[in-house]
Parts: sequence; C-alpha cells; structure tokens
Amino acid sequence: MYSLKLKDIKYLVGNNIVQSKTLKPFENIVCSFLENLSKNLLKNKTYRKHTDLVALAFWCSSSNLSKLKKKYKNSQIRFGRGLIFHITPSNVPTNFIYSLLFGLISGNSNIVKVPSKQFPQIDMICKEIKKILSKKEYSSIKDLITIIRYQDNDKNCISEKISEICDMRIIWGGDKTINTLREFKIKPHATDVTFGDRYSFSIINANKVSKLGNNDLKILVKNFFNDTYAADQNACSSPHIVLWYSHKNIEKTIEKFWVELSKKTKQDYVLPEIAIIDKYTKLCKDFAINEDILGYKNYSNSLQTIRLKKIKSGLENLRGKWGYFYEYQLNDLSILKDIINKKFQTLTYFGFSKNKLEEFIRYNNIQGVDRIVPFGQALNMDLNWDGYDIISSLSRSVIIK
Amino acid sequence: MIQKKLDLFKLDPFSLDSKDKDLLFKKYLNDLTRYHYSKSNLYKKILSGFDYKYNKNYEVSELPFLTTSIFKELDLKSISSNQIFKTLLSSGTSGSSQSKIFLDKENATSQRLALSKIVSHFIGKNRLPMLIVNKDINFEKNKFDAKSAAIRGFSIFGKNHHYLLNPSNKINEEVLFNFVEKFGKKKFLIFGFTSDVYSAFFENSNFKEKIDLKNSILIHGGGWKKLENKKISNHLFKTNFLNKYNVKKIINYYGLVEQVGSIFFECPKCNVFMCSNFSDVIIRDKNFNQIENEEGIVQLISLLPKSYPGHNILTEDLGKLAKCNCGFKGKCFTIKGRVKNSEIRGCANV
Repeated sequence: MYSLKLKDIKYLVGNNIVQSKTLKPFENIVCSFLENLSKNLLKNKTYRKHTDLVALAFWCSSSNLSKLKKKYKNSQIRFGRGLIFHITPSNVPTNFIYSLLFGLISGNSNIVKVPSKQFPQIDMICKEIKKILSKKEYSSIKDLITIIRYQDNDKNCISEKISEICDMRIIWGGDKTINTLREFKIKPHATDVTFGDRYSFSIINANKVSKLGNNDLKILVKNFFNDTYAADQNACSSPHIVLWYSHKNIEKTIEKFWVELSKKTKQDYVLPEIAIIDKYTKLCKDFAINEDILGYKNYSNSLQTIRLKKIKSGLENLRGKWGYFYEYQLNDLSILKDIINKKFQTLTYFGFSKNKLEEFIRYNNIQGVDRIVPFGQALNMDLNWDGYDIISSLSRSVIIK
Repeated sequence: MIQKKLDLFKLDPFSLDSKDKDLLFKKYLNDLTRYHYSKSNLYKKILSGFDYKYNKNYEVSELPFLTTSIFKELDLKSISSNQIFKTLLSSGTSGSSQSKIFLDKENATSQRLALSKIVSHFIGKNRLPMLIVNKDINFEKNKFDAKSAAIRGFSIFGKNHHYLLNPSNKINEEVLFNFVEKFGKKKFLIFGFTSDVYSAFFENSNFKEKIDLKNSILIHGGGWKKLENKKISNHLFKTNFLNKYNVKKIINYYGLVEQVGSIFFECPKCNVFMCSNFSDVIIRDKNFNQIENEEGIVQLISLLPKSYPGHNILTEDLGKLAKCNCGFKGKCFTIKGRVKNSEIRGCANV
C-alpha cells in the first residue's frame, strides 16, 4: 500500500491511498462494474448527447465485453502486473477511460492522470464511476481505480514520484511527453507501454468504387465519414490521405466520392468556426511551402482535397483536420514501401482482399502499420492497439505444472 | 468622381462617400495585390494556389485574403531583409507562436500618418497631456510587441506623458494625483488597453480621495476578452467610468497588429466601429460568402501594408455590419467576440 502525500493533486476518483493489486483478466466483478457504467451512461439524456460517451457505453456493454472475452480465450494462466500509472493525452476527452479499461480488464490496479484541460466528459465519467464504486458489492475493487489531475508543468514532480512506485506505465502522447517520462526512474521489473503520435491513411480501389451502385457508394462514404469527421479527423487512426488505386483514368470516380462525402457533411457535420480559419490558414501554408501540390478542390468549407503530384518519405507530416484530405493516384502499392515507417498506425481500405494487403505488408518489409481495417472501423478501440496485444502486454503469465 | 492620384493623407479620413470609396478600393486593392504578388515569393505561391490571375481586375470581395495566423506560420514580406526597419510581434501568449510583421521605413511612416489622421479627427490636432495606463515602455526600448507599438503609436498625439503603472503593474497613486492636479483642469488624454484600464481604475485601486477626470478623453483598445469573462460590457465600462470618475468621452478602438495605422475608432455615441478612408470591412459566413445582415467572420482591408502582404486579412473575430446614426456615410460594424476555440477531439499530438 502506498500513500500519495503529494501537493496539488486533485482526486477525481479515489484518494491518496493506492495499492498494487492483481486479478485475472476479465474478472467477473470488473466486467459487472463496466456493464453498470455502460448502463448508467446510456440512461442519462445529457450524456447521450456526447457521441463519445455513447461509443464508450457501447464498448463497456455486456455484449461487447463478452465478445472481447471470447476473442481473448487464453489457455495460459494470467494475472495483472500490478499498479499501472496511466498518463493520458490532453486533447481527447475520453481517451483516459479507454486506458483505464485496458488496465482493468487486464487485471490491474490503476492510477490515471487525466489531462489538466477540462472536459465535461471527464467529469461525467468520473461521477458515474464514483457512484458505482460506492456500492457495497464493488467495495472489493474500489482500490483498483484512482483518477487524478494535476498541472502539466508538474512543479511538484508528481509524475516522477508515481513512476517510482508503479509496476507499469501506459504513456499516451507525443515524443516529448514520452521522453520526459522516460527520464524518471521506475522499478527494475516495471515496463512501459507507449502510445505515441501516429499517422493513418486510406487505400481505395477506385475500379471497385466506380462499379458501386448509389446506395453502396453512400454506405462507403458514410463509413469514411465516421472514420474521419466523428473526431474532426484528429484521432490518430483517422486517415489524412486517400490513395486511389487504379491503372485507369478515374477522375469521375474520385469526384463522385468527394461530392457524396460533401453532401454527407452538409447533413451531419457542424464545422466549428475556428476550424474554418484554421483550415484556410493550413491551405495557404500548403500552397506556400509544399512543392508537391498538383491542385486543390474546395467542395465546401467542410471538405477540401489537395491533390499531390507525388508522394515521398515524410508523408506522415501531411496532416489534415476537420475534413482536409490529401489524395494521390497510384497503380502500384509497392511504391509505399519506402514511405511507410513506424509512425504509421491504421490503414483503412476498400476494394482489396485481406490476402492482398497481407502480402503487401509481408513482401515489402513494411515497418509500420499496426492496423489494417475496412472503411468504417478506424476509430474502433480494440484490445489490439498500436501493435500491442493489450491483455498480454498488461498482464503476466504464470506457469503452474 | 475620384481624381487621379488622390492623396488620402490630405483628406479628412472619413470624407469619402461609399461610391467613390468602392471605386478607389477596387483599384487600390487590385494594385496592392499585384504589388505583393510580384514582390513576395510566398505570397505569389499562395495566390497561385487559389488560381489568382495577375491581369484580372477583381471585385474587392473576390480577391484572395490571408488569415492573421498565417503571419505566425510564415515570414511574409515584400521587401528584402536589409530594408527591414522594425519587426512588430503580436502579443501572443507564451507557448503559442507570435505573428511577425516586417516594416520598412516607408510603411512605418504611412502607418503613423494614417493613425494621426484618424486620431486627430476625434481629439483635435493639438497635443494633449497624456496619462498612459501602463508601465513605462521606455525601459524596454527594443520591445516591439503589439502593446508597446500601440503605446508608441499613440504617444505622438500627447505631451507630458505619464505612466500610471509602476514596474510591477500596480497603479502609482502619486503619479495619478499629481497628473490630475497639474493637467486635470484642461482637456487631457488617458490611453491604455481595455482590460488594463478597467482593472487599474476599478480593481487594483482604492483611492482615499475622489478623483474627477471630467476633462479627459479616454481612448482604449485591445479587445474585450478578459472583461467579457468578468461580465463587463462596453456599456457598463462607460457607465462605471462616468459614475465613478466623471469620464465623459470614452472611445474604444479596434485594430490588428497586421494592420497598424488604419485602425477603427468607435463612434462615441453609436458604439460602432467606423471604417476610415484607409480601411474596409467584409463579413463572411462559414462558407466565406459575403453577408450583409448577420453575424459572421470579420475580414479587414487596409490600404497601408506595403512592406508585407497584410492588406487583406480574415480575422478570428466575429462581427456584424452596423449603422452609425450620426451622419457618417461609410461602413460601420460591431465586434461580437472571438471565434470560439473548439474542443479538440482526437488523439493526435499532446
């Protein structure tokens, strides 16, 4: 048991007493707690207005949990690693809770540092967690969850002190955050799982798209919309560039796709005013310094496309937000082999077989890309993330003979 | 009709009627755009991106514009480096990058002249004793942030300058009392940033004696963001100054560090910002369509910027066109605040 007698910590859930505890992955009481959280989130009308809370509720629902559990089905005997210190990113309101879910499901006790930036979702989730944990039936897992907040400048070296006592750290953030935390001492057996800044892209078989009927095109566009606009194209798994694969002239197909997407944004997307200005500034900057631009199309302020003359290494620096997409036509996937590096996370695809993509990764010695998923699944939080099998990474296997 | 080679610096700054002004601005703005296109390589690339045609005469509202934040991203200038006379920096908060505005001597002069035309229209040509609600900027001679630039710019309309705040930004009562005793019986000027002025006189002060500032003209600008959080409106600002200090003439001004000089003074009665002969305003909706009667994003046009392409800029402010009921025929507008910084979703960088 540890007592965190540190100045300037705010406890959103739990208190200054933390301990290292281990359970089995998917422990019944943990699953029951999560199912309750799911129900409470869905019950509340205000919560339901936040799409990210609804997505979270779905993730914790009993049906999804049992699906995940089934997939996990491990013959090994596994236990959590102990106390996990989560450092979660400051621009995703619900990211902290997924990190906590990873820790809980794998059988660990957790200290979660939420961003100092205030988000209503964080308060809502913490309020519900507290409510459920105060029930008698959950008293045994109460000390698995401590959620804290402190200033990013961390004058009192709180991160350093918690690093000393934990058994594992999960660090979300850019290279800078990760490097700062790496300077702190951790226990000899402790390990880090890092979720750094990543880049994602799409490959689309244009010939297949050209053959789609109206309805199917709409579904494709809707899936792409969900992958991107749902988080303002700002999630690390949302694509920034669309690679059109074809040997033919496919301008009409490309145009059809974007026009359909533009229609969709008009119905279902509200572009914040700051985004309008931000995107316009980005466009000006691109024109000024990006030598590879062939042209651009402005479908509306919610959708701009930038056509590239060529793609080359450093592609991961071309990032759009709020519906700002780079695009490029290619007829040979192997040109990507010198471009894809470890920064690349998710490839969303349409019109390819799994085999073809697996071959592409295998025979080109591709170093990056941890997820290859069809259009529509970019944002699905999975127990495989950034190349980690979460349960294996966050638990230890015990051999009993 | 406008004569050829009209010298705006010789006219009253609010003299042009809208018809003349429209013709004049169409010509000047097209010329200015061509000028910067030929002088600044980066600007040329941006305009080419938007498919700008050098030989076409555009309507003012059709010409491509830049944003204020592009001046944080790129060093945009239409002069060579050895012609830089001074560089203005925006008063960006630490962490965020600052805008850089490159001035040559000629541009610095035209800024000063335009400002002088506008200010003297409101307060007369004579220099007035001036109380500056700031610490003495002469301690930091080489500082060219927006605040120091504004204070320096306005100081030329005053004499007997006194700085009201001490180096730790607290009000110096002695300075205030001496100033009022010495100059308070005749017209004098108070100048400062909106929130600084308000907190100096209403939050950080507890004067033992009553102070009468009835002969003052208070000129302030810099935005309402801080006071909005404290629920102090322009109207309340004026009422409070009148009730407590008997300040009768208060003029709010608005301007960009990217367009120093051609600033917008408020009509003291109608509380609307007036476009001078040097400036114009366009309000745009979310898809950049020009709108007349609704609130939208404010685009500002200035004829002054020549050493940097800052003549046509989309701001991050929201505003609405408005009317002045005092007989002024030009364009007027009000500012409704800043575009909201939205909640960022996603998990990109931290």
